[in-house]
Amino acid sequence: MSDELKSNTSQQSDAGPVAARSTMPIWIIVLTLLLLFLGAVYFDHHSGWFDKQVYSPYTSADQLALYQPKSGAVAAQARGRMVYEAACGVCHGSDGLGKPGQAPPLAGSEWVAKDVASLARIPLAGLNGPIRVAGKDWNLSMAPMGAGMSDADLAAVLTCIRGSWGNKYGDVSADEVKAAHAAINGNAPSAADLAKMTPVERGHAVYQKFGCAQCHGPDAKGGVPNPNAKTAEQIPSLIYVADGYTKGELINFIKRGERDIPRMNSTGPEPPHFMPQWGPIITDAELDDLAAYLLSLKPKEENPGF
Amino acid sequence: MRMNQKFNVCLLGMAALALFGAGMARAEDQLDAETKARIDRFEKGPATIDVSKYPQGIQDNYETFSQKCTQCHKLSRPVNCDYVLPDEWSRYVKRMMHKPGSGIDSSDGKKIYEFLVYDSSVRKKAMLDDKLAKLSADDKAAAEAKIKEVHDKYDNK
Repeated sequence: MSDELKSNTSQQSDAGPVAARSTMPIWIIVLTLLLLFLGAVYFDHHSGWFDKQVYSPYTSADQLALYQPKSGAVAAQARGRMVYEAACGVCHGSDGLGKPGQAPPLAGSEWVAKDVASLARIPLAGLNGPIRVAGKDWNLSMAPMGAGMSDADLAAVLTCIRGSWGNKYGDVSADEVKAAHAAINGNAPSAADLAKMTPVERGHAVYQKFGCAQCHGPDAKGGVPNPNAKTAEQIPSLIYVADGYTKGELINFIKRGERDIPRMNSTGPEPPHFMPQWGPIITDAELDDLAAYLLSLKPKEENPGF
Repeated sequence: MRMNQKFNVCLLGMAALALFGAGMARAEDQLDAETKARIDRFEKGPATIDVSKYPQGIQDNYETFSQKCTQCHKLSRPVNCDYVLPDEWSRYVKRMMHKPGSGIDSSDGKKIYEFLVYDSSVRKKAMLDDKLAKLSADDKAAAEAKIKEVHDKYDNK
């Protein structure tokens, strides 16, 4: 019996369970991958279980706009910020610090602290040539980006500039802007004058109103330097646009602008001037007249023969 | 050891798939300018034209075309684009010619224009006929006259 037991136990220990390798079934691998894939999709669709109200509370910009205040100081502030980003921020920066070689800073600029009439003059009439801002000299040209804005919009954007990035110079009212507007537009044609003009004459007024001449020259012959621009480092002339564009193509180009100017030397600096996006600034009727004016500029005697 | 490697490969595969899944959900909010897509499409095509069967004068103009136009953009852009009508070429060649520093004078511009009109009437004939058919009778006659003018100038010489 004891012998039997002995042999039994020894037999048992010999036949005991042994750890061995076996291949993982392929369906488990496939299933895991599939689950992981679906999991990632699901995770992404559900904002990763962050609270939707925090992570992505709105499905569209329109929906977001529904919840914004429609009037009052907060609405004006938001409007000013929006106009700033659309018209000024590209060059002066969302942080108001400007960009070297492109636009001086607005944060801490003594020009922002001046009276409203002087400040409003810059977006209304544009600015060309040397200016000293916060102890640094600049020599550039700025188109009158505010010439087409409503008084309320310009007041809102000036309020935004005067109250952001550490500037604390008080709000600007639409009436103050209206006064500044009137002082500058003294020679601008009245609505009655405009009605009597031909489209080409009206287009010339539009050309002046929006300061196209700041960059393209008073007679649209170009030549203003634009360092490192592929176009011979200068802003192009406009007198031949009738050759190269249909009226529709020309209007579309002005509306769209050209943010990225091709560089003469690809490793060199960004050219300081670019064509602003005028679509949101110039009205369609004005654009139509402007195109008529530009198409009329082609020298009659020149004909390339094709 | 083999099992370990398999497991690693497996993990890699899962990671790739997970990324792919997240990427798919994101891809839809990418929008780009239609024009940019068009230019990209044109530029992916061949960058040269076999001009060996064209008249000598047109072959010479091809030289001017490939020299001048590549100063600013790939040759594959005009080679593969959908402009074929004489008016389209006239407008675009002049637009480029008048850019400051283009180095294209009127006589170069004319050579480039003639090459492009000739080439379009041969290599892009189907597209040209299609566009001609959509024009008004007067415009069609004017366009055909311009194409004929270029052919008369260079063919059989």
